[in-house]
Amino acid sequence: MGGEYVLSDSGQEAPRDPWFLQGWKASRMFLIKGSVAGGAVYLVYDQELLGPSDKSQAALQKAGEVVPPAVYQFSQYVCQQTGLQIPQLPAPPKIYFPIRDSWNAGIMTVMSALSVAPSKAREYSKEGWEYVKARTK
Amino acid sequence: MSESELGRKWDRCLADAVVKIGTGFGLGIVFSLTFFKRRMWPLAFGSGMGLGMAYSNCQHDFQAPYLLHGKYVKEQEQ
Repeated sequence: MGGEYVLSDSGQEAPRDPWFLQGWKASRMFLIKGSVAGGAVYLVYDQELLGPSDKSQAALQKAGEVVPPAVYQFSQYVCQQTGLQIPQLPAPPKIYFPIRDSWNAGIMTVMSALSVAPSKAREYSKEGWEYVKARTK
Repeated sequence: MSESELGRKWDRCLADAVVKIGTGFGLGIVFSLTFFKRRMWPLAFGSGMGLGMAYSNCQHDFQAPYLLHGKYVKEQEQ
């Protein structure tokens, strides 16, 4: 116990590691994990991703400009290295659907229908009553 | 507040929400893999924090024109 030799996994005696090597082996994984987590936190802090909304909007816009060319270059590099040919997909169709105009038009249609509903109901019920009266004569 | 300015504020709010929720989710993934043995709660915690921060920013942005900024004026004895 506490001697210069310890039993290894194979059951044979092996010299005990010096104290600094023991400490390094014990804390190596924690240091690696801590470095990765600390780097991620610093990246978020440096890019101000959790800051004001205008900075976040600028970061999103910058990502939208940078990421597609980077993905394209990476795919080209993979094609060159592996010899595979990625088929060129056709451009996606540009769909123009103005949500705001459609919503506003729908709201106006519903409100105008509701506004004329009482008078229309009165008119239709009057016509129906006249029809029933004519049929029962 | 004009409608164009309102639209710009909504755009900014949505972009901010996307970035903050994504950042919280990403940090949650990092911490879940490194320290918390691949549990799910860091992801939920990070996403929730991002959503809360985005909501707070949006709320402040929409209330900004109506917030009155006053200051104390010391009475001067004559």
